[in-house]
Amino acid sequence: MYRIRFHGRGGQGIRTAASVLGSALFASGREVQDAPRYGAERRGAPMSAHVRAGRSVIVERGAIAQPDLVVVADPTLLAGGVLQGLSAQSVLFLNGSEPADELRTRLACPGRVVTWPGAARELEETTGVAIGALCAGGAARLLGVISRTTLEQALLAEIAGHGSGAAEAGRALGLAGFDALADSAGMVGEGVDDPGAGDAPPDWVRLALDDASLAAPDVFREATSELVQTGLWRTSRPVIDAALCSRCSWVCTTLCPDSAIHAKAGEVPQIDYEHCKGCLVCVLACPPHAIRALPERQPATAGNPR
Amino acid sequence: MSRVLLNGNAAAAWGARLARVDYVPAFPITPQTGIIETLAAWFASGDAEGRMTTCESEHSMVTAAAAAAATGVRVFTATSSQGLLYAMEMVFAVPGWRAPFVLVNVSRALATPITLEPDHSDVLAARDSGFLQIHCASCQEVLDSVLLAYRLGEDPRVRLPVIVNQDGFHLSFTREPVDLPDAAAVDAFLPPFDAQQAGFRASRPVSQAVAVLGGSPYSYFRYQVHLAQNAALAAYDEIAADFAARFARQHPAVEAYRCDDAEIVYFLIGSLSARARLAADRLRASGLRVGVVRPRLLRPYPAAALRALLAGKRAVAVVDQNLSMGSGGILHGELGGALHGHADMPLLLSFVGGLGGREVSDGEFAAMAREAFAAARSGEVPEARLLYTAGELRELRKLQAVAGLAPGSPR
Amino acid sequence: MSEARYRSLRELPGVHALAAGTAMCAGCGGLEALHEVLDVLGTRTVVINAAGCMTLLASYPFTPFHGSWLYTSMASAPAGAQGVRDALDLLRSRGRIGADDDLTAVVLSGDGSAYGMGLSATSAAIERGLDFIYLCYDNEGYGNTGQQTSAATPHGARTPTSPGPAGHAGEKKDLFDVWVAHRPRYAATVIGAEPLDLARKVQRAASLAGPRLILALAPCPTGWDYDPMHGVDIGRLAVRTGIWPLKEYVDGAVVHTHVPHPRLPVEAYLSTQGRFRHLFEPLRNDALIGEIQQRVDRYWQNVG
Repeated sequence: MYRIRFHGRGGQGIRTAASVLGSALFASGREVQDAPRYGAERRGAPMSAHVRAGRSVIVERGAIAQPDLVVVADPTLLAGGVLQGLSAQSVLFLNGSEPADELRTRLACPGRVVTWPGAARELEETTGVAIGALCAGGAARLLGVISRTTLEQALLAEIAGHGSGAAEAGRALGLAGFDALADSAGMVGEGVDDPGAGDAPPDWVRLALDDASLAAPDVFREATSELVQTGLWRTSRPVIDAALCSRCSWVCTTLCPDSAIHAKAGEVPQIDYEHCKGCLVCVLACPPHAIRALPERQPATAGNPR
Repeated sequence: MSRVLLNGNAAAAWGARLARVDYVPAFPITPQTGIIETLAAWFASGDAEGRMTTCESEHSMVTAAAAAAATGVRVFTATSSQGLLYAMEMVFAVPGWRAPFVLVNVSRALATPITLEPDHSDVLAARDSGFLQIHCASCQEVLDSVLLAYRLGEDPRVRLPVIVNQDGFHLSFTREPVDLPDAAAVDAFLPPFDAQQAGFRASRPVSQAVAVLGGSPYSYFRYQVHLAQNAALAAYDEIAADFAARFARQHPAVEAYRCDDAEIVYFLIGSLSARARLAADRLRASGLRVGVVRPRLLRPYPAAALRALLAGKRAVAVVDQNLSMGSGGILHGELGGALHGHADMPLLLSFVGGLGGREVSDGEFAAMAREAFAAARSGEVPEARLLYTAGELRELRKLQAVAGLAPGSPR
Repeated sequence: MSEARYRSLRELPGVHALAAGTAMCAGCGGLEALHEVLDVLGTRTVVINAAGCMTLLASYPFTPFHGSWLYTSMASAPAGAQGVRDALDLLRSRGRIGADDDLTAVVLSGDGSAYGMGLSATSAAIERGLDFIYLCYDNEGYGNTGQQTSAATPHGARTPTSPGPAGHAGEKKDLFDVWVAHRPRYAATVIGAEPLDLARKVQRAASLAGPRLILALAPCPTGWDYDPMHGVDIGRLAVRTGIWPLKEYVDGAVVHTHVPHPRLPVEAYLSTQGRFRHLFEPLRNDALIGEIQQRVDRYWQNVG
């Protein structure tokens, strides 16, 4: 059975990527199961999806712990649990153009790594929901069991609901992703059907009764949400040009939905990159156009603008 | 017939479409919303003929559903979690109207704390309402069960509304291959809705759902709903047999997996049973005879079928994805009631797990079986276990520290 | 709260009463309005939440509030505010807490609750004269489940439950007028994109006692289908086209705090959002655009 995990953000078409790949595998004669996985977070927040494809009815359900292929929609996601469960046999495919061997070393990734080859490096400039189609195309080629025509049909079928323009763009990008990885065709191998119980016996405990003040979902501190780094959602970074800033002290800070810009009278405002989600409302709202948007290419780190 | 990839929500919508439902009162709630969105798109495109009314609440939605059924059309609706609970006054009220319709519940855990992920506390809160309940473990079952539910609920012996339950996320958002039956074959299995005596017509005045004063007439009407539920047991077997003959898919009231020679049996409902099956396969590979029993029909309760399947087993590990506060797992308690006093019945072990989407791991399934074997050997049943690990507790303590609390610390 | 009135944008609070790090979508117009409102009200508030997008503002163990919060349900948040208010009054009258420990009860609700499921509890709370502020972030649909049609969805908008070629056939309920019909102490419409107007209204509301409505149109990049960076522009266009009148009701009279002049054609607003794309593509639907324009024109003919 193939076990494939996609990682992206809300709005990058990752759910669609999984359904394109699932449909293409189904049309290629496989039994298939695919599902998106999201939590409470919204557009921009990291999410994942999975595809299982086997030769007989799939009983296994839920999250994939031991993936054969992990597909990552952009380099800013290469933090956290994205690499979890990768083994020497598995493949990591990143929608990026950093040379694969450099990336493998940098991440200390146990498996093989694929990125766009130099000739196709412009593919990483893709934005929005089209990223899903692109990643599905690349993944299809890496599996090596999906024909170009089958992929094309799956792209059109799964993206049709997004409008004819989106379907055409998705078809083109999906096929471009497929074509770009010709040299890596079929490099993902199929995992065993039953990998066995992956986990050790549980370290069960008997819960004791706690004091009710402890045992209610109450938060007794203020503003603990600041511990949540929503800056990781960002794919574009607003940067203030001090030379252009009129130091009005209110426009960007008031209009920022996330309270992520702080200003003192007469000073250039400070953007809180730990929390800025990259909506870029400030870029358009700034009267002297002192805020520019720069693409993120690395996992955003706290308060550390480059 | 065609075979397509559908998630549980789309499968439910297909069930409604193939049943040619006339009317869908709706209210969105995660993770059910895909069902009503799919139907809305079909009604708008003309792919299905029906009317959808978006209500302002589930309480109104269930009222409109039952009122339309009582006026003589085929009705479908769907909800989840807090929505089912908000509708609960009407969920308990409308079975007594004896006007059948189908409600798909997409199971999601209940507040507090509010969450999005699945367990069965919502649908089991409706256990005593008078709705029949069918519990699904695959997307195919969701589609087929909607069709079975109409036949069953509309059966002249039954005439009750039916809840078809599927797990949020694990089924509702998961696509897998589903056989779409031909519309003509479904029409042959499921004839048009016969409203029988129900229906408001100027030419045939009727007062429905009338109050009673006095316990005697009250008891009569309530007993009748109970007896109709009991009658649904035999009706279900006939209808499922007819379905199997037409569509070659078996949906018995109780599914038994590798049970014939099993010493130990996992007992649970819903899609978590897939993990129990894999666990049973692995344990059998190491020489332990383990099986799985999964009731699909929970109301009416197939007690006799369960006794027949479990007689002679050594122990049953009941896995409850629900919690009756102050009592324990609901399935465990019900099964005990069904087996008690009969000869040759197994020991029952109670495990509560999978609440609010918590994974029940392969390792935990194996450990449950080990505990069941140990109980069978010793004859002693361990205290009910709330599945929780030391690692989880350590993580939780960290969250509590962030929240400004630590065990034993004053606020 | 002082009786003073913000004179200019420079006087708006620069320190935010709502912390970052919430699960709301990037570019959320509701969150923008909420933080602007709380910046004025300050932290001596208890926010009583109705089910909606903002259910997940506080998600254990994380809260963005410097003040307090209680999650209730979709239907009954005003009743939650009643219980909190009554209890605080009791504690104060019995000398168990001082005036400095008192709080302003603020119901926080989306349009799904405010215009629909929660309306009965709201009506009853106004009728009882409950001393509370009701803040509705109106993103014109059940945003938390994917923007299905609610009682606040505008005529013609396409939603997953109104997917036809003409979008939603019904009319947006006028919640402001529903409140005014109850004769509350105060009611106002606001939008985050006009922060000075918003701050002045919240300031006025805070200086009064009794049932008070702050109804904020909340541009929603996810539900309305636009690039989040355009949120403020779209909010301003809602005002400048006259689609979202900024007004307040106080002492028995409705006053418009901003009369757009000249009023831009509604298509300047409609054409910015995917939910209205079918009005322009593949063929322009002049009849429906004209109908929407006519409603707005009729509204403003009756103003002033």
